[in-house]
Amino acid sequence: MKDVSLFIPCLVDLFLPEIGEATFRVLRRLGLNPVYHREQTCCGMPAYHAGHLEEAGRLARHFISIFEKDEAVVCPSGSCVLMVRRRYPVLLEAHPAWRRRADALAGRVHELSEYIVDVLGRDDVGASFAGKAAYHESCQLSRGLGVIEQPKRLIRASAGTELTPLNAADECCGFGGDFSMKYPEISEAMVKDKADNFIAGGADVLVMSEPGCLLNVRGYLERHHPGRKAVHIACFLAGNEEAP
Amino acid sequence: MEDSARQEILDRLRQAPTQAVPERLDLPPLSERSQDREALIETFSRKLAAQTGVCHRVPDTASALEMLARVLEEEGVRQAMAATDEYLASLNLPDWGREHGFDIGTPRDYPDRAAYKTAVFDRVQAGITGADFIVAESGTLALIHDRDQARLISLAPIVHVVLAPVDRVVPAYEDVMESAFGHGRRPSHISLITGPSMTADIQATPFKGMHGPRRLIVILVERGQAVAPAKGGPPQQ
Amino acid sequence: MKIKTDQYAETARRELGNPNSRVFLNLLPAFLSVMRQAAMQSFPDPAAAHAMGGVIRAEALDRLPELLEQFERNATAAGTKVFWAWDGHAANGYILDLALKHGIGYVTKGKSMITEEIGLNDLLEENGIEVWETDLGEFIAQLLGRPPFHIVGPAVNVPVEEIRDLFMDRIGLEKPTTDPVELGLAARNFLRDKFHHMEMGITGVNMAVAETGTIINVENEGNIRFNKSSPRIQVSVMSLEKVVPTMMEAMHLLRLLCRNCTGQELGAYVSLDTGPKNPDEIDGPEELHVIILDNGRTRLYQDPNLREILRCMRCGGCLNVCPIYRRIGGYPYGWAYSGPMGQILNPLLLGLDRTRDLVQSCTLCHACRDACMTGIDHPGLLLYLRSKAAEGDPDLGASPESWPIAWFFKAFAHAAANPVLWRTTVRLVRSLFNRTAREGRVTKAPGPLAAWLESRDFPAMPEKTFHERWADLERKG
Repeated sequence: MKDVSLFIPCLVDLFLPEIGEATFRVLRRLGLNPVYHREQTCCGMPAYHAGHLEEAGRLARHFISIFEKDEAVVCPSGSCVLMVRRRYPVLLEAHPAWRRRADALAGRVHELSEYIVDVLGRDDVGASFAGKAAYHESCQLSRGLGVIEQPKRLIRASAGTELTPLNAADECCGFGGDFSMKYPEISEAMVKDKADNFIAGGADVLVMSEPGCLLNVRGYLERHHPGRKAVHIACFLAGNEEAP
Repeated sequence: MEDSARQEILDRLRQAPTQAVPERLDLPPLSERSQDREALIETFSRKLAAQTGVCHRVPDTASALEMLARVLEEEGVRQAMAATDEYLASLNLPDWGREHGFDIGTPRDYPDRAAYKTAVFDRVQAGITGADFIVAESGTLALIHDRDQARLISLAPIVHVVLAPVDRVVPAYEDVMESAFGHGRRPSHISLITGPSMTADIQATPFKGMHGPRRLIVILVERGQAVAPAKGGPPQQ
Repeated sequence: MKIKTDQYAETARRELGNPNSRVFLNLLPAFLSVMRQAAMQSFPDPAAAHAMGGVIRAEALDRLPELLEQFERNATAAGTKVFWAWDGHAANGYILDLALKHGIGYVTKGKSMITEEIGLNDLLEENGIEVWETDLGEFIAQLLGRPPFHIVGPAVNVPVEEIRDLFMDRIGLEKPTTDPVELGLAARNFLRDKFHHMEMGITGVNMAVAETGTIINVENEGNIRFNKSSPRIQVSVMSLEKVVPTMMEAMHLLRLLCRNCTGQELGAYVSLDTGPKNPDEIDGPEELHVIILDNGRTRLYQDPNLREILRCMRCGGCLNVCPIYRRIGGYPYGWAYSGPMGQILNPLLLGLDRTRDLVQSCTLCHACRDACMTGIDHPGLLLYLRSKAAEGDPDLGASPESWPIAWFFKAFAHAAANPVLWRTTVRLVRSLFNRTAREGRVTKAPGPLAAWLESRDFPAMPEKTFHERWADLERKG
């Protein structure tokens, strides 16, 4: 069985570990052996987005040294993959040796749906959900990494599932990391529209690829529309969409 | 003082570090480039109409003038100002106007700029011009201004009527510029006109005739009688 | 123009609750964006046409000094008076001197963001010269004393009742009407008189073509053409990055500009000036002055990481797709430029300290970068500015980050680079954090999450992190 290394975002590790578990189960189901490097902590994105490059660089080096021997690294978050693939080489520009190591690793780090569809060549992962599912196109994954169709293909291939259109699917949900905490009213206006579009579209569940987006939208739904469900795509595919 | 600003600016720009530029790839040509004249005229008419402009196509000068009379009547025009570009000059609109009940003057009727401006702002209900190019790609008229193509005629009156030979139609803006700026020519002013003046600045409600004309009517004349070529050829000495 | 960039947060809050603003923000940007997509289809290869915009602008910036000299040479040969202004003070002074020399009583202006940047109107008015904005939206905004709401519709959010009252009060509208067309007609009549008698018109410049010494302006209303046809003196102000090498390239950019700005294939009027009028022309300016303005741009140009922002053609495409702009409108950005490009240019021209929120308030969603007709990577530029804000940079007017925040990130990085310390910290944070939780979620808590929790729940930290579950998972899973 081929090994695949799990890159578990800090938000997942701390707040949404079931996403990590679901990722594990889906990859196992596809005949892979997921391994988990216990030294991993955080890819450094929060520091980078706040402009603290030295700190972000330190975490980049930590990450690279942990993962660079892996043939394939899979992550249930597009923003974290974008960080590693796109930002690490820039961050480490001034350290040529590290820059080379970052470049070498970049092509081997994948977001989950990207890995399943593009690398493994699979649509059907044995998922099933009887009902309508809508999909929110997270910014970093879609516009950042260009991964748009892959999650939709996986959802469509799920037995009994109808992928329904979502109005303004590609508009930002208003998370943006600490944006949601620093500019909460603007953020709220954005997540409200996302939730309203989901509800108006009539889907039974909103599938999301980003843990951050999920915290944001689910948090809003729980407060204002209890009973309306948002779920991470890993959990959707693994079959535990009734996540706690 | 000013020279030092110029020097400082240029020096600083020159001493800045260089930066790689993205690779330039070829662009496929616009679809209008492969259209024949009929298709171009059709494209022009359709796009002009989308802007609420009106396009009439007539076979010869006589019918062009008939159409002009009809247009001026419909638009309630009694006084008009006409440009004196070669095509319009060949129509002798002032005389024609007198015969048909329209008072059509040209800028030359006025002793000075101020008198001309008063006429074109306050007196006339229409400006009549030719067009140097009829650009299919967006339903656009290109006017190359000079002594015989005054600027305000196509701007100040509420109605703008254009009379032009149909063989002035070209696919795209580049055709206009290649000709206008060819052979070292430097026209002082060029207007590209696509439909009437418009705005939607109040509550996003669109309307025509904000500052410029509210109506734009184009009369395209087929060859038949001797028509003047567009501005082109070697520069005048 | 008053600088209110430090009032971003409160202005944004106010605008979020302003129904007039919300009506237009819900309609206009999305509409323009859809129109843009449709108009781009007129290109046989829209993606390639789009990419070419960035290439042309990058090449132009690369050759900037040479192109500016070429433009000056060709414009001067055609009779244009070219004036190089180091800053707004110099540019305004030049224009004022010109107006005073010619005994100008009033000037009319076409929409020009650069003149807003340098506060030209205020200086002229202080010196007894009336200034009339002539773009309908700018005219209304000027009468109301407000900044522009949107690049294309500066006053599109203003209710008709307010415009009616304004026009009755200020421009002699007699019959009270709330019909937009009738109100527009009233403005037309009022401004027509100004156009007729004006002796000096001031415009901006959309593009300056080096090859021919030509300046190009795009509009829909006709007011810019009036400014170029009626008065004896025309002054056109351009920021120095607006130069483009050739007329052919300018035509391509013209197509992209119009599609991005208003979703049109071309604006109703495009006017190209190469020198003043010829002696035998009866209308047009006898004098054409083009002011090449620096105002901080050569400074920006020095940093290759920042230079990209100078590609901007002010099309407004980024505003139309920005999810934040779509909710707060133009006012919160507090100065001449709004939306994503304003979030970069305002800080670079005014300094980072007074524009903190403009640099921070962005989710990095990348919609702007994708819409930009010249391929500017706004998120990348904002991240760069954030790094400057964090470490401090006197050239950019940035004091270093406050020590608690700097210390927090140092501690964060230290913990995250030391797995054992990280795990210990996580356990500690979990026990503290979960004190605020009920039934697996947090609905109210002090600290950084407080504002979030006003409108959203947050999960409690599960009993075991993924890391702590791994052993079981590997064994059983």
